[in-house]
Amino acid sequence: MESREGPDRAPAEMAPGEAASAIAAIDGSRSWLADRIIAPCWYHLAFGLLAGGVIAEAEIRSWTVFAWSVAAYTVGCGALMWWNQRRVGVSMTYFDARTRAVFAGHILALSGLIAFACWLGLDRGAHAAFLAAGVLAVPFTVVAGRWTDKLLRARLQAGQ
Amino acid sequence: MTTAARFDEIVHAPNRLQICAILSAVSSAEFATVREGLGVADSVLSKHVRVLHEAGYVDVHKSTCASRVRTSLSLTRAGRAAYDGHLAALRAIVSNEAFDASAHHAALPNLIRT
Repeated sequence: MESREGPDRAPAEMAPGEAASAIAAIDGSRSWLADRIIAPCWYHLAFGLLAGGVIAEAEIRSWTVFAWSVAAYTVGCGALMWWNQRRVGVSMTYFDARTRAVFAGHILALSGLIAFACWLGLDRGAHAAFLAAGVLAVPFTVVAGRWTDKLLRARLQAGQ
Repeated sequence: MTTAARFDEIVHAPNRLQICAILSAVSSAEFATVREGLGVADSVLSKHVRVLHEAGYVDVHKSTCASRVRTSLSLTRAGRAAYDGHLAALRAIVSNEAFDASAHHAALPNLIRT
């Protein structure tokens, strides 16, 4: 790595092949960073379980339990994000037009699930409606998380 | 908006180019993360960061967390412009297109070794 160190050379000495090598090194750094950004497989599952847990516990119909589950969800999400930030070691703008659209779609999907569970469970008196919605929230969250990771990875590799 | 191609000798050194490549993609990165990305020793990275910092290309921010000092690095606006210009210059060399290196060097026809 240090072999080409020393006094900076003028571009007059740079052959197109050497410039191509420098660009390849830049691409390599971007790829390394993009790989580092990808969260471990359990990361989004943990978010999904937290979200699913909050929705599913509504089956108990207790405001106290609901308040505790929301608090646990908030603390859990915060802890996961803090841990991931420490793991990656970089601070970056996660939201752009595409990732924001995925996030909005995820929130809409969860909201729809909750609304449907409320209609089934509270209005129609169906049993386990919130439990089913909570279970469904897990894969929704995992898919949205992995999709966001994929978009971030593509963005980093493109150097944007 | 396209970036004007401009060869930058400070950015050009391989390790500094990689530092800039990593920092250009993020808001800031921890010193340890950049060191891991480059695969160099602390002292080597410190030397290059000092050069970039003295050129006004990199900001160094130190914070204390649980009695440990954490150093984070970020590209300044000037650093980002220099890196973007240098990358455009490299691409111009590769594609054999003329670029404006007038601030530091002569024009391209005299620069590219064929």
